[in-house]
Formats: sequence, C-alpha cells, structure tokens
Amino acid sequence: MCWAVPAKVVSIDSDVVATVDLGGGSIKKVAIGVNDLKVGDYVLVHAGVIIEKLTKEGVLENIKFISDQIREVATIIGEDPEKAVKDYLEVVSGILEEINGDENGQNNFSSR
Amino acid sequence: MELPKEIEIFFRENAPLAKKLSEETAKLSPKVKEKTGLDVIKIMNFCGSHEWTTTHYGIRALLTEDVELIPGPGCPVCVTPSSDIENVIKLAMDGYRIYTFGDAYKLPTVNHYKTGQIGSLEEAKGNGADVRIVYSFADAIEDAKKDGKPSVFFGIGFETTVPSYAVLFAKGKIPKNLLFYSSMKLTAPAAVYAVKVHKESKRTPVAGVIGPGHVSTIIGAKSWDFFPKEFNIPAVVSGFEPIDIMIAVLIILKNLYTGNIGLTDVEYKRVVKREGNVYAQDLVNDVFRVVDTIWRGIGNIPESGLDLKDEFKEYNAREELGIKEKPWDYDLPPGCKCNEVTLGTAYPTDCPLFMKACTPSRPWGPCMVSSEGACSVWARFGSHKRILEIIKEGGS
Repeated sequence: MCWAVPAKVVSIDSDVVATVDLGGGSIKKVAIGVNDLKVGDYVLVHAGVIIEKLTKEGVLENIKFISDQIREVATIIGEDPEKAVKDYLEVVSGILEEINGDENGQNNFSSR
Repeated sequence: MELPKEIEIFFRENAPLAKKLSEETAKLSPKVKEKTGLDVIKIMNFCGSHEWTTTHYGIRALLTEDVELIPGPGCPVCVTPSSDIENVIKLAMDGYRIYTFGDAYKLPTVNHYKTGQIGSLEEAKGNGADVRIVYSFADAIEDAKKDGKPSVFFGIGFETTVPSYAVLFAKGKIPKNLLFYSSMKLTAPAAVYAVKVHKESKRTPVAGVIGPGHVSTIIGAKSWDFFPKEFNIPAVVSGFEPIDIMIAVLIILKNLYTGNIGLTDVEYKRVVKREGNVYAQDLVNDVFRVVDTIWRGIGNIPESGLDLKDEFKEYNAREELGIKEKPWDYDLPPGCKCNEVTLGTAYPTDCPLFMKACTPSRPWGPCMVSSEGACSVWARFGSHKRILEIIKEGGS
C-alpha cells in the first residue's frame, strides 16, 4: 500500500491534476500533492497522487551520504577509511558521470 | 539515461556495493553485540514495501545471524478491522456502490468461513453487489460522477495514501453522491506499540528501526525522532531498493556501536526531507482529524487513525448513514496469527496455517491478502526460514 512509482510530468492540467508518464507507454492523470510542480519534473506517484519530486541533487546527496557512512564504518572496523571511500567511488563513478554529465563528479565526493 | 533508471541501476543492480556492505555488516555486528550485550540485533521495519524488498532480494541471507530483520506493523490492509469490512459489505448489499483498492477487495471478515456469511467484498460482488476496484480516489470520483448512484469509497491506507484523499476534499472535487468510509491508520502509534510489546516481554528488545520511506516522505523523518530520544533506539528512514536497506542496517549498527544515537538518520535522501512534504501535511490537517481506532487482532490504539473533520461530515459515511461503532471483539479467524506477525512477535512461518489452509490464492487471514502483507510476501518470495521449513517438510 505504500509503494510509489517514478514518473515524469507531461502536463499540468489544473491546480489539482497533472498528467504523468509512468513509462512503458503508460500515461495517467494524477492528483498534485506537492508545491511548485513543473513539466519535465521527475516525481513519485502513489495511489494516484504525486507525493514528492525526485531530483538529481537529492540522488547526489544520497550517494554522498553513503560515502560518509562507509568512511565511518571503515574506521570502526579497523580498515583504511580513505581506501574504503575510494573503492566506493569506483563503484559509483558510472552514475556520477551520468548525473553530472562530466568527469568532475568524483571530486565532489572526495571532500569530507 | 532517465533519472529513475539510473537510480534503479545504482540502488538495485549493484552487486559490488552489496557485497561490500554485506562484508562490513559482518565485521561490525560482532563488535556491536560485544559492546551492547545483545544476543541478537533485532531491527524492525514498519513498511510492507521494506519487507517486500528484504524478502524479495534475500537481504536476510546477506546478513549474519547476529542481525535479525523483522517486519512490524507495515500493512494498512492487514490491520483494517473486521467490523469495517462487515460495515462496508452491508452497505454494498444494501445497494450502495462500493469503491475499493484491489488490496482490500479480498480482505476476509472474522467469520468469512461460516456458512451463509458474505465474507469479503469479493463475495459481495459475487452476490450481486456493485463493488468496483479503482487505482485511486480520483478514479472513483470520475466514475461516481457518471451516473450519480449513491456510492461509498472504502478509504484505507497509511500516511502515504492520505494525501490522495485530502487534496481532492480540500479542493472541493467530491460529488455529492460519493461518501467516504475512513479506515485510515497512522504508523507511528502502532510502531511504538510494537516496540513496547518487545520491550515489556521477555523477548529480545528491538535494537533499531527502519522508518517507512514513503510514509516519511509525507510526515518527515523528524516524526521518528521519538525512537532515539525516548527509547534510545536508532532510527533510519530508508529507500526501497536493496542497497537502501543494507545501508540502513549498517547505520543502525554503527550508531549502536558508537552510542551516537541522535536524531533520525535519513538514508532515502533522494526523496525524504526531515520536515516531510509540508504542502501535503497542510492539506491533510485541513481535512482530517486524529481519532482512536481499532487495529485488527490488536484492539484500540489511541490516536492512531484519521477521520473527516466536521466541515466534511456530509461526506462521512459513518455519520450520514448512521453506522454505529461496536465495541471491539477479537477479529481474526481461528488459528490466524496475523496480529503476532504484525507486531513482529511471530514470523509468518510460525503460523500453523501458513501455506496450508492460508495461501495467496485462498487467504484465511488478512496478512495473506495484501501484496504487502508479511505472510503474502513470504509466501510469494520465500525466505531463509521458509526454505528451512520446506526442507523440514520434505524430510531432508
């Protein structure tokens, strides 16, 4: 009952209703449950209502947060924290390049 | 590449990272046990979708036996009381058209197995009632407008679903012929109830909690701060992919080890904000009020439900149709352990009916009905405990 699916906003039809593309050719009218919705926004849809927007900034913040956790845990279990983060960054380099659109992404995550 | 696809690949199909997290968890968990004196580190989730991810992707198999992931109250369909189902069935048989989500369509009443009983909305439809499954409240509104027939929407759900109702009430989009029967539930009061059951019994206490990702999208991660503050239990709001769950476990272990149990951590940062979706919260507060409500097999939990405010009482099915609330009586079918499964005091495999008298195609109890009920999840995707059960049944 709490599953939500990602979608892209195709049009904003009124103050209450937007049309979204759920992928796979599925277009649906849904209620708007967020502020400042724009055409082209990625959103999460649950039971016919948009419950939140999905942003690149949020994804990057998510990935950086994981990096911080890996560093802290490595310290506790007696491993080299910088090596642990470096290994992690190698795993995430693909998505960072996709999101950032350049090769500077890794540098953004190297700082504490 | 589209952003959702990038996220899916990273958080779902990331075997190297999953392996790394599994190894780190295995190294950290013995240290946590030694430091805390716990015999097992019990971590409870409050969302059927988290249990789905945990089971579907075999997360338990990636953890050592030091860590136990248990499902808590995370399925609103499972805890919808039998009296609500009976009331809505009666309305259906009295001629009202009923709109419901698919999850609630097969939900059985306490006496569903008795001869002469109409034990679910599905059976009501089989007996000629007008029962329609909808994808959303908005779809029910559009359908109800077409012919003006007196209709009732069976409004179940946790905080994630509530805005889908609130926005349409708040914006005045409900036709006069559509009433609303509320069976909405609030997650946090039941989460506290479940954790207290473990704490106040001889069971291993809950050492950490994984906060529900999409409920928290609405109510905010701050809503779980009472766990670290009042219970000294780390809380992490997690996303729904396997990597999300594994990170949440790792954070809980880390916080238990360091003793740095502060505010709720948010792993699901790509969606959840600490304050939540304030726009949706305002709509919900405009339309609904907090009420005491019954949780199936458990009884009344104070201030754990929502119903329409007086301004909207002309749409309230209970008030408009004079439905009297009966005192709660135990409302699970004989033998069903859904209440224990909901509170995390029993696994689905502990129920003698599981995959025998109770299966997804013929559910005996409510936890086998919804796609996010723990019994249904375990039945469809198995678990390490289920595998052991099958081996035992096979005599190997």
